[in-house]
Amino acid sequence: MSEATEQQAMRPTADPDLATALYETVALIRATELRLQEHIAEHGFAGFWHPGIGQEGLQAGAVAALRRDDRLFYAHRGLGYALAKGMELGALLGDLFGRVTGSTGGKGGGTVHFVAPELGVMGQGGTLGSNFVLGAGSAIATQLLGGDEVTAVFFGDGAAARGTFHEAALQASVWKLPLVWVCENNGWALSAPITQQSPTANIADRAAAYGVPGVIVDGQDALAVHRVVAEAVARARAGEGPTLIEAKTLRIRGHYEGDRQQYRTDGADGVAIPRDPVGLLREHVAAEVADDLDSRAHARVEEAFAATMAAPRPEPSIVFDGVWA
Amino acid sequence: MTGETASINYAWAINQALAEEMRRDERVWMMGQDIGRMGGVFGVTRGLYDEFGPARVRDTAINETFIVGGAAGAAMCGTVPVVELQFADFLYVAADEIFHKLAKWRYMHGGKLTLPVVVRLPTGVLGGAGAEHSQSLEAVGMHTPGLKVVLPSNPADAKGLLKTAIRDPNPVLFFEHKGLYRVKGEVPTDDEHLVPFGQAAIARAGEHLTVVATGLMVSRALEAASRLAADGIELEVIDPRTLVPLDMDTIIASVERTSRALVVHEAVRTAGAGAEIAARIQEAAFFALDAPVWRLGALDTPLPQDPELEQLCIPSVADIEAAARELLRI
Repeated sequence: MSEATEQQAMRPTADPDLATALYETVALIRATELRLQEHIAEHGFAGFWHPGIGQEGLQAGAVAALRRDDRLFYAHRGLGYALAKGMELGALLGDLFGRVTGSTGGKGGGTVHFVAPELGVMGQGGTLGSNFVLGAGSAIATQLLGGDEVTAVFFGDGAAARGTFHEAALQASVWKLPLVWVCENNGWALSAPITQQSPTANIADRAAAYGVPGVIVDGQDALAVHRVVAEAVARARAGEGPTLIEAKTLRIRGHYEGDRQQYRTDGADGVAIPRDPVGLLREHVAAEVADDLDSRAHARVEEAFAATMAAPRPEPSIVFDGVWA
Repeated sequence: MTGETASINYAWAINQALAEEMRRDERVWMMGQDIGRMGGVFGVTRGLYDEFGPARVRDTAINETFIVGGAAGAAMCGTVPVVELQFADFLYVAADEIFHKLAKWRYMHGGKLTLPVVVRLPTGVLGGAGAEHSQSLEAVGMHTPGLKVVLPSNPADAKGLLKTAIRDPNPVLFFEHKGLYRVKGEVPTDDEHLVPFGQAAIARAGEHLTVVATGLMVSRALEAASRLAADGIELEVIDPRTLVPLDMDTIIASVERTSRALVVHEAVRTAGAGAEIAARIQEAAFFALDAPVWRLGALDTPLPQDPELEQLCIPSVADIEAAARELLRI
């Protein structure tokens, strides 16, 4: 029997202000995802873009449950996490396109290095699963310095296989570190389906081994994700230790933009988004409000795109910057 | 600043550095296997758990990726971790955390993250610990930009370099030689005894041959120098103390005086730190040299577990003496 508890969506009683706020974020992420798709189709891309389209609802819903000073170790699938945590779209696009306006000052080129410590955006590694131990360290810092910030660590079903999860989960549970693990189970680790990588259907079932709650939630439902993450954050902040949340979702595009996904056997065409999180959230927002947020999102994306393309590339001397403190 | 010293061993000098820095700065804390209640398998951290408590002196499970990765995360969030891997060899177990996270995360993230982590690494051959508990791996640290690499050869340097390491805002690999833990020496009692990085020590002055030695090999080179002095041969023994940063100026100035150089380390000879130092000597002082630059290092084999066999694999005093005599005949 599964130790993980399955959470039902709670659409009828959704908080309208929360739904609208989440919709604003989700619409902006979606508009950016589509704009990036269009750009890469036309112009290519000097780096790797790992699209997060279809996973915007869970990213926005989960991050909205964090405080500004809570810390975020995000995963590689898209820029939704960092955008939801309050980073400027221009800073993220600057990173993607290697412009001085990027949060890394032009050392970017790809999804993985957005950073804004003042907003708790603590970066992402090139080795999947490294965030488990780094995130645990962030939570140790909270304990040592007497704060009450919570650290959220995002990862996919693929990265869940790393030994770093075991090492971090075991010690974090013993020390009751203020952590929330959010697994975006989209069913695919690059070309490998979950059935080839996990003997059990649910990643959350592994929580029992570490003596922490394991929670399964519909990852297409931003409000449901927000609710379970908020509970886990409250638990962590109260000193009761980590929670493992598994948000069930689906990867729509390839591992990277340009991946033709010939290995896919589930009929995904890279376009259709079953139970689209944007559409599900829209049901809780007045149509005219949603329409307005959609058009504002498009305008913001176009403005940020134009500004990014007009921004300068870094000086070559940037290669020497930041090796040493 | 009294100039007073006390005779203590290398392990205790490290212990004092840890205690003093933890008293000075509340952000400094420690994590590792058996470092708390037990005081470490080599006894280096004895008493610190009692003084600073379980929150700042944390015993972990057997989880090297957590020890180093946790330190990296905690450092990025405002603390100063000093973590111990029980044997330096285990840096391969935490390789992603050391060579990627510690070394690169500041760089990758536009200089916005700071990782002031000290990784204490009991290193070297000591009494048959075996191939996976005895290696000297400092060269892999040198080969990864972003890591500082420190190898104290005596108690005073062990204390002063560790205090400097803890105050450095960069990640530091601190290789403590297990065979030196019980060696005593005069150590300044001053709380501000800091040995700067990138400043080699001339352990013995001499005019005939420059010997650059690290870690345990410094005392062996000094012993070889004493033997050779009886025959009127004067070795100049230089201890770089830190390999990153590396004080080539002191080494080059010495070679320009002696015209000959021998590099000695306990690490495997092939692609060891000696290869780098020898290359830099010939780049900077080729016309001062009267002979090729030679290297002595461990054999290109894993270290056998037998305590007698393992000693055959690393340079002995007699090996250094013989190499020096031969190099002086060229």
